[in-house]
Amino acid sequence: MNPLLAIAADTSIIRVALLLSALLFAIGVAGFLTRRNMIIMFLCTELVFQGAALAMIAFGRLHGNLSGQVFTIFILTVAAAEAALALALVVLLYRRRETLSAEVWSELKE
Amino acid sequence: MTPMLALVSSDVTTAVVDGAAFSWLGWTLALPAISAVLCTLCALLKVPGKLPAMLTVASLGASFALVLQFYQQMPATPITIHLAEWMSFSWGPTDFHALQAPLALYIDRLTVFWMLFVTGLGTLIALYASEYMEADVKSGYARFFAGVSIFLFSMTALVMGGNLLLLYLGWEGVGLASYLLIGYYYTRPAAVAAAKKAFIVNRIGDLGLALGLFLTWRCYGTIEFSELFSRIASAPSNAPWDEALIPYLFMLGAFGKSAQIPLYVWLPDAMEGPTPVSALIHAATMVTAGVYLIARMYPIFLVQPDALVVVAWVGGSTALLAATIGMAQFDLKRVWAYSTISQLGYMFLGLGVGTTFGACYHTFTHAFFKALLFLTAGAVMHGFAGQLDLRHLSGLRRVPGFRLVSWLALLGCLWLAAIPFSAAYFSKDTILATALGSDRADFRFLGWMGLFTAGLTAYYTFRIWFRVFAGPVHFVPGNDSHDADHAHAKFHPHGPRWAIRLPLILIAIGAVLSGLPGYIETFAHKENWAQWMIAGSSAVEGAGLSHGGHAEHADHGHLVLGMDAHKAASLLSGILGAIGIGIAFWIHLARRSAADSIRRTIEHTPLIGWIPRAAERKWYVDEVYHAAFRMPLWMTAHVLHFIDKHIVDAGVVDGIGRAPASLGRVFRPLYGGALQSYAVTMAGGIGLILVWLVWNWVRGVH
Amino acid sequence: MSAAWITILAPLLGALLIGLSPAKAARWIALSVSGVALAAILQLVMNFPGWKSGLFESEANPVPFLPEFGITLWLGYDSVAIMLALLNAVLVPLCVLGSFSAIREREREYYAWFMVLSASIMLAFASRDAILFYIGYEFTLVPMVFLIAIWGGPERKSAATKYFLYTFFGSIFVLGAILWLGVSMHAATGVWNFDIDALIAYGQSLPASTQWWLFLCLAGGFAVKVPIFQLHTWLPLAHDQAPTGGSVILAGTLLKLGTYGIFRIALPCAPEGAVALAPFFAVLCVIAVVYASLICWVQRDVKRLIAYSSIGHLALCVLGLFAFNPIGAEGSVYYMVNHGISTGALFLCIGMVYERYHTKDMERLGGLVKRMPIWAFFMGLFTFASLGLPGLNGFVGEVLCLMGTFIADSGSTPDNYPGVLGPWYATVAASGLVLAAMYLLIMLGKIVWGPLTEPHDDHHAPSGLSVDLNWREIGVLAPLAVLCLWLGLAPGYVLSNLEPACTRMLAPFPAIVQAHIAADVQTAHDSEKEQN
Repeated sequence: MNPLLAIAADTSIIRVALLLSALLFAIGVAGFLTRRNMIIMFLCTELVFQGAALAMIAFGRLHGNLSGQVFTIFILTVAAAEAALALALVVLLYRRRETLSAEVWSELKE
Repeated sequence: MTPMLALVSSDVTTAVVDGAAFSWLGWTLALPAISAVLCTLCALLKVPGKLPAMLTVASLGASFALVLQFYQQMPATPITIHLAEWMSFSWGPTDFHALQAPLALYIDRLTVFWMLFVTGLGTLIALYASEYMEADVKSGYARFFAGVSIFLFSMTALVMGGNLLLLYLGWEGVGLASYLLIGYYYTRPAAVAAAKKAFIVNRIGDLGLALGLFLTWRCYGTIEFSELFSRIASAPSNAPWDEALIPYLFMLGAFGKSAQIPLYVWLPDAMEGPTPVSALIHAATMVTAGVYLIARMYPIFLVQPDALVVVAWVGGSTALLAATIGMAQFDLKRVWAYSTISQLGYMFLGLGVGTTFGACYHTFTHAFFKALLFLTAGAVMHGFAGQLDLRHLSGLRRVPGFRLVSWLALLGCLWLAAIPFSAAYFSKDTILATALGSDRADFRFLGWMGLFTAGLTAYYTFRIWFRVFAGPVHFVPGNDSHDADHAHAKFHPHGPRWAIRLPLILIAIGAVLSGLPGYIETFAHKENWAQWMIAGSSAVEGAGLSHGGHAEHADHGHLVLGMDAHKAASLLSGILGAIGIGIAFWIHLARRSAADSIRRTIEHTPLIGWIPRAAERKWYVDEVYHAAFRMPLWMTAHVLHFIDKHIVDAGVVDGIGRAPASLGRVFRPLYGGALQSYAVTMAGGIGLILVWLVWNWVRGVH
Repeated sequence: MSAAWITILAPLLGALLIGLSPAKAARWIALSVSGVALAAILQLVMNFPGWKSGLFESEANPVPFLPEFGITLWLGYDSVAIMLALLNAVLVPLCVLGSFSAIREREREYYAWFMVLSASIMLAFASRDAILFYIGYEFTLVPMVFLIAIWGGPERKSAATKYFLYTFFGSIFVLGAILWLGVSMHAATGVWNFDIDALIAYGQSLPASTQWWLFLCLAGGFAVKVPIFQLHTWLPLAHDQAPTGGSVILAGTLLKLGTYGIFRIALPCAPEGAVALAPFFAVLCVIAVVYASLICWVQRDVKRLIAYSSIGHLALCVLGLFAFNPIGAEGSVYYMVNHGISTGALFLCIGMVYERYHTKDMERLGGLVKRMPIWAFFMGLFTFASLGLPGLNGFVGEVLCLMGTFIADSGSTPDNYPGVLGPWYATVAASGLVLAAMYLLIMLGKIVWGPLTEPHDDHHAPSGLSVDLNWREIGVLAPLAVLCLWLGLAPGYVLSNLEPACTRMLAPFPAIVQAHIAADVQTAHDSEKEQN
């Protein structure tokens, strides 16, 4: 058996971690909704990601298995790839309109 | 001839012999068909010259020869000749609903009687047409003769067909030929419209025939004549309602094809076709198909005597109505068209009152003299560049080249007016005498009506002759396009050559000879040949009923004005005819101005002033039909089209198609394209889910 | 490999070849592969042992396709299926030949899609497995939509969309019913099997109320394709907008998939339901005859007119099926074939005029016989075939359908095949004879006869086309004309071959109809008693 799992789940740490993850998530969402700068918005989505990842680690700890951590590593990898893609897109969009504001783009409408 | 009658047993219709030995008679069907195919090929390949005419005349002549050949060795009983399969079905243990419609011929004397004048006149008129249509050698010559060949093929199938379905094939086929030939001058909108009208009105009748066929098959389980008549004979006398309907349905078909009330309106318009067509199809042969149908199906009518009463009334009324319209027309061919309708009315009257012999004999005589009249009219039309208005033609008998035509026209007129001892005198008087001598009061009334009509007939017939052929020479040429070269020089009417003259003479001889049976009957007191021909057929019972023995009939018959009905009919129709001719002589030859002044007087008299105008406008029947049937249907069609396009399609179908899109439109504002608005929507969704979770949690706590 | 597979695979391979070859070769490849398919099916027809038995002639062993669900690649024909497959095999090469001058852009795609269309129709007619049938039936949509949407008229987009969505919507019910049958058969017997005959056997064992729903779903789904009255509005648009070849196949064989589906699947799978619903469907058909004919009367566009006439004609065809007697069923199948020939030929004729004058508006065309006598001959011939002139092909099917309906009642006559319709249905439907004559002769009177009218604004007779038909076009129409005459004058050969298959389909019906009538009589009797 994995020695890490032998450590009894410390619920107080888990609680803090969950609270932190909720906070990260909320800050991320709030930032995404209120800011217009695409880079900032993108950073906010990263915050949402990290909140979710933290919550998964915390729950993994609670359940006493490693799934949460494994999943987080996946998310980090995907997020990294995504970050590269998204930043590239943002740069491209910036080149088109010379601004980083998200408001100038509404091509998805109809 | 007479000894043969002894062989004819009373149940002649039930004893049918297989006539495999006569299968060569199938060539009468095949020859016109081959000629039709060849003429069509000529038309498509644009073969110049008179080859199509030669083909047609040769094949029709050959089939006439075959019919004559058969007539020589005609067996006493009906025969069936099985040629090939066409449509046949059978299933189950009983053969009741087996549908047997092979390509087979049913030949009795009625068939031969009809075939004799159909193929004979067909040959002569095709010969006539070979010259008459020569102006069209470059354009429609082959098409014309293809139409004539199709007609002869179909008419042969109609008359000789061994079952109702084959009869129906011929029935529709003559309709097709009629359509093609009426519309021959297709650049004239009137011709196209007339062709269309003829086919559609006929189709209404055909619908009746088709339903009659279905019902016959349903009730008797067969549509083959050879079987059918024996089944009818053995059927119980109290027919159920559906069986009783059969004759009425057949009647509708007959009224359509033979131009009777209410479906006669197509025939006058059909005169748009070339004159040989009018003579052959719309006077002599095709229009008698209705008479043939009823004569052929007479056993089924005898089961329902009420149906015959309807036939009699329709025939009598049509005869009168058409005669009144004919009196007021100015177009030569139209007058003859109405007189054809009127004469057909007599035939139906004859069928109705029970003398199939009279009806068939009248068909026979009428075929000759009416063809003669039409062909003389055609000769006039041919020579005078299409002029047919009797106000613009006069004194033709003094125009060089038209003497023969005039005298032959006189012969035709005399025959149509049924002056004593002409052919029609015998045939028509048989009908009238039977009607007048009937036990039924309404038949006697119809007889008197027929007599009155005979007077009118004599008048309008001689109105034409005195106007057109007699009197001072005066004419205005018509404006037919193919005579454009005449327009520059002074117009010279050109008289007909041999190919027109020869058929005219032969048909005239035929018209005279067609009276021969009547002479022999009247003076030699032998049996009438026509009656002998009818007697061996399915119409036999009708023939026996009325005229089986002439003398015997006189004994039992109703007395008219104290005389025997036959004598009375002859006398009265003779007198009325003479009066009619006399009036016509007076106002159309002796004092032509009188006609105009009489007309003017009538027109200015209140109450009756409208009559001449209404008669000239054909009693507004076309207009009434238009308003009563065509217009409502046409409007319904538009309404349905509107419903289909705008309500069913654009409304319901597109409406359902649009439903998902409109549902989407409700939520569209949420997806305005701006990035944040999507995020807000998303967050809002999450928020809603959260609220719902919390709500549930709170409720769970309580 | 059997000939049935060749009829399907040859066009598919042809489509592939067309994709790989230069545009100029496309038409010739299409022509030759459709010729191969025709040869293959002719070979089948010549050596067809199923004529007399009415049974399927099929592969010895079905090839498993999805064995877990009992779905197989099983091909086989009975005499009805082979007639319709033959019709398709005849029409496709003629359409290809007729498209030579009409299709001038994106030729490769056109002929490739056309071959795919041909293959999927062949698959539908040849399938003995219900799922395989459905694949063929449904896949026809794809090539047809492309044919309409790319080479169609000005409204091609909406026509293609409507055609796809509408018929797809109908097909869902068919698929649902087939799947339901398969699943519930699995539940009942533990065996997965989608063989049509097995489904039929299972369907007939179901209770009457279930069959009622089953029939409604199946026949209702096929009814969109036929199309039956009020489910028809996609048809005029699709016909109107499709290119000539597409219209021909649409009228000629695609619509027949609907009637064939009713014949092959709907009627035998749920006979109880069919008997109970027959009056309903028959009334729709009878109304459709009058309704469609009247609408034809006021059309200006020739193609729309012929499209509406198809609705009326096919209504008569379906009516014949609901007569539940051999004469009606055979007439109906015969009518399917003949409608394909005469209407297909009419569309070809109109297409030839359209190529020359760029209009199909009857008001702008007139008296064309003067310019194009040979065309006029064919046009007249096919028009009269379409209006049911005896001696031509349309008449035989029409009159048999009507006669079958006419005697299809409880009847006082000793008949092995009682029905639930009767003379009144046939009488109203027969009025279509008059109405058809009316609108078709009006059409003929306007465009063929009358004074010559040609649209002025357009240059007519484009390059490569003569004033009248050229030899290629005559070659397209002449075989159809010969078929019209042959099938009209000598129907006996085909009819007698159709009989076994039709009687086989009808086998369960007499008993069911008898019971149905008896139940009706009983109900009437009971209610009479109650009143007393």
